[in-house]
Amino acid sequence: MIEFNLFTWWAVAITFGIIFLILVSIYLYLDSRKKRREGLQNRTGASKFLIEFVFVWVLLSLLILYIVSIDLVSATLFAAGNIIVEVFLLIYLIKNRGQKSEQSRQLQIDNSS
Amino acid sequence: MLKNKTISERRDYWSIPPIDVYKIFGTSEQGLSQQEAQQRLKTYGHNLLPRQAFSGVQVLLRQFKNPIFTILIACAVVAGFFAELEQSIAILSMIALSVVLGFYNEYRAEKTVDNLRKSVSLKAVVKRDGKQSEIDSSLLVPGDIVKVYVGDIVPSDMRIVECNSLEVNEATFTGESFPVEKTKETINIQHPTPQQLTNYLFMGTVVEHGSGLGVVFSTGKNTELGSISKSLTRSHPETEFQRGVKKYGNMLITLTAALAIGIFSLNAIIGRPLIDALLFALAVAVGLVPELMPAIVTISLSQGASKMAKVKVIVKRLVSIEDFGNMDILYTDKTGTLTDGKIVLKDYYSLEESKDPRILSYALLCNAAVIGDKVTGNPIDAAIWEYALKNSEQKSLDAYTKVEEIPFDYQRRMMSVVVRKGEDLIFITKGAPESIIPKCKYVDLIERSGSVSDALDSINTKFFNLSQQGYRILAIAYRKMEEKKIYTIEDENDLTFLGFLIFTDPPKEGACQAIEKLKRMGVAVKILTGDNELVARKICEDLKIPVKRVVSGSDLAQMSATEFQELVEETTIFARITPEQKLDVIKALKKNGHVIGYMGDGVNDAPALYEADVGISVDTAVDVSKDAADIVLLEKDLGILANGIEEGRKIFGNTMKYILMGTSSNFGNMFSAAAASVFLPFLPMLPMQILFMNLLYDVANMTLPTDNVDEEYTQWPKKWDIGFVRKFTLFFGPFSSLYDFLTYGIMLFIFGAVTLEKAPLFQSGWFVESFWTEVLVIFVIRTRRIPFLTSRPGKWLTILTLSCIAFGTILPFTLLGSFLGFTALPTDYWVLLILMVLTYLLLVDAGKVFFYKICKF
Repeated sequence: MIEFNLFTWWAVAITFGIIFLILVSIYLYLDSRKKRREGLQNRTGASKFLIEFVFVWVLLSLLILYIVSIDLVSATLFAAGNIIVEVFLLIYLIKNRGQKSEQSRQLQIDNSS
Repeated sequence: MLKNKTISERRDYWSIPPIDVYKIFGTSEQGLSQQEAQQRLKTYGHNLLPRQAFSGVQVLLRQFKNPIFTILIACAVVAGFFAELEQSIAILSMIALSVVLGFYNEYRAEKTVDNLRKSVSLKAVVKRDGKQSEIDSSLLVPGDIVKVYVGDIVPSDMRIVECNSLEVNEATFTGESFPVEKTKETINIQHPTPQQLTNYLFMGTVVEHGSGLGVVFSTGKNTELGSISKSLTRSHPETEFQRGVKKYGNMLITLTAALAIGIFSLNAIIGRPLIDALLFALAVAVGLVPELMPAIVTISLSQGASKMAKVKVIVKRLVSIEDFGNMDILYTDKTGTLTDGKIVLKDYYSLEESKDPRILSYALLCNAAVIGDKVTGNPIDAAIWEYALKNSEQKSLDAYTKVEEIPFDYQRRMMSVVVRKGEDLIFITKGAPESIIPKCKYVDLIERSGSVSDALDSINTKFFNLSQQGYRILAIAYRKMEEKKIYTIEDENDLTFLGFLIFTDPPKEGACQAIEKLKRMGVAVKILTGDNELVARKICEDLKIPVKRVVSGSDLAQMSATEFQELVEETTIFARITPEQKLDVIKALKKNGHVIGYMGDGVNDAPALYEADVGISVDTAVDVSKDAADIVLLEKDLGILANGIEEGRKIFGNTMKYILMGTSSNFGNMFSAAAASVFLPFLPMLPMQILFMNLLYDVANMTLPTDNVDEEYTQWPKKWDIGFVRKFTLFFGPFSSLYDFLTYGIMLFIFGAVTLEKAPLFQSGWFVESFWTEVLVIFVIRTRRIPFLTSRPGKWLTILTLSCIAFGTILPFTLLGSFLGFTALPTDYWVLLILMVLTYLLLVDAGKVFFYKICKF
């Protein structure tokens, strides 16, 4: 019984952690948009939103993975799930860095002009 | 007997005739009596400037002006109180290390500057009891009659009562490069500017020409120079960096107090022993404080100061280095900093702009400079000779013999000579164009000489245009003469206008490139000068500084506070402004959120140097200016500035890395510890374990000051943005908490560490995970690029960090580990840990991409 209570506590805590992080991300995102005085609808089409919040979707996937694998007490599922997420993140980061470099260059040009 | 009140309150001696000045001061042309002088010396004190004596104690005390120290000392005291002596000692050692390092560097820098100070005491020629004698200038008293000659440094503030072609260089006071003509005549202006006080001599200015006699009206701290020096003995204003650290300190105090109180209350409510709850809350609070921050900052600054010393830049106040890097506006005085502060002949030409060699030859002949090993004398005449010698154009004089000379005087504002060339006698006159042009009857044109009335408009237009460009102009005219016995000023008529001599105070070599480099680094260069607008505009043109707006001191005086606050933003040149106005400009821009650098070398620059976030002076500057500065350049190379700025930005970058990483990961860890303490039947980590982990983390960070900083980080000025630190902590802190919670899950449900007996296993597992994530994330957060691939960390940072990781990993298997309450971890755990930490690092990197896309810093 105590283990059930502990698990619930734990699941609530880790879920709260992830939700908190997602809420902070959304807050920062909206705050930056407000500062740039740009209309949300112009910039946040569904696909754009999906791409910009990739790491949020990863977080939600991880939450499910972690809760399920620990609930099943399966180290194998935990390990396999982590490897899949790592590969996905690596691909995302490599692709995203290319775009980022372009943006940095643009920012530098803006500054110098 | 003269009263103190007269000295301190009465200053309008400019409007009083010399004879009355004698009366006011109870003196006469014979000077004071020795007895009276002795009496007055007792009343008014020695003629010495107030200045803060170089004091090691003061240098030591200012090391403690750090808000983080307050938190740390409080933590050390509380830790000591609860018998956590090791932690208490560790925290106090960090503080001691920071203080010793900071003191050593700043003391050394202050000592160097102190040694630069000239120890030679000034002498003054004074008339007492009707006899002239030379005395130490510190013995001068109000009412003394002092004589000054060419080359003398004026020993006190004086009202001129006699003068002979007296010219004084007041650049250090007013910023004006050209010497100022002095007179004994009264001035009928109600509120004259220092430039208008032509019958005053100010302490610290230099006699360039002629001689004069003055009545001392102020000595020591009562002089203009003294009042400026006095203003510098107040405490140094807070720099932008110090303000940032203070805000950060306040944020930490709030966060620490809230977490500590929250954790203690929760643990007390769920029935934990109060002393355990208190100790745990205390450990969490201490864990939140980045105790190494002062040491990291001081080590970074000390290293930066050493690097800068190698390029001959002395850093007097270490804390100014970060603001040096972050300044976005550099105000500079013109004379002596952007320019050489020395008059040179730029060019000479006729009305038709042809370079007639006779213009230079005649200017050399009609010249009062003394040519020896060095060219000395009147700076304008000396400049003509220096030009000729440099261009080997003095040889043309061999054909001439000087017959007669009519010296310069201020009534005529010209000098003349009679020279012989073969059979011809030539009368040459050189002087102010406005005096010479009316004496001309003809103009020397290429093939013929025309009437001056035809060309008068052209001459005046040319003169006006050149003056508008900020040049100082002299005219040259001549006439052929018959042999005479005596030549007089009556002969200065019916002259033939030959051409103009154009003088300037040229920009320093390399100044243009240095300013261009500063512009590329995001530092706007603006000018605050006591000199006139035209000259300031000219120097901007020469140095390619775009001029948006020019404002003069008199305009400023008529502005409202709101107008002024807006105007300072768009103004490039402030001309003819007083030291107080310079101060106002700097204060206004600081209020607008700028980080201000100020570079100057004169007395009039000292208050601004003191007020700016970074005061920069040069070794040849007056003492009062060097005293006020934070940074002293030993070489007048403006290019050094850019190196210093880059160094400052690197140091700021590494400091921010520590602050951002430390605060966010500490916050994350402590937050998860607090949460776990509520639902676990035991403490997730013992207080001693938390403090040990914290100490180990700090050791890993010790080499952070040596870390490489990405090039793009140093390309633009940065600023302390407490909002950014808060956002960063809020965003990256939960990442660490998340993986702490995950570790709890693994330890509790996979390895079954749910009972009190298995608490050491749980604590060991969390300790290793927490330490790995906390330390390894340094490599991700330290750069915005791809860690290791496009941004390599510093060698020492890598070595020390990985060594600490190795130590933290084997710790649970060691005796020390057992002592700390750890136990060996199962092999399966390590596999899961590696996978988990790898996911964590990749996730943080993805989060970093997202975060920097929306949060600019």
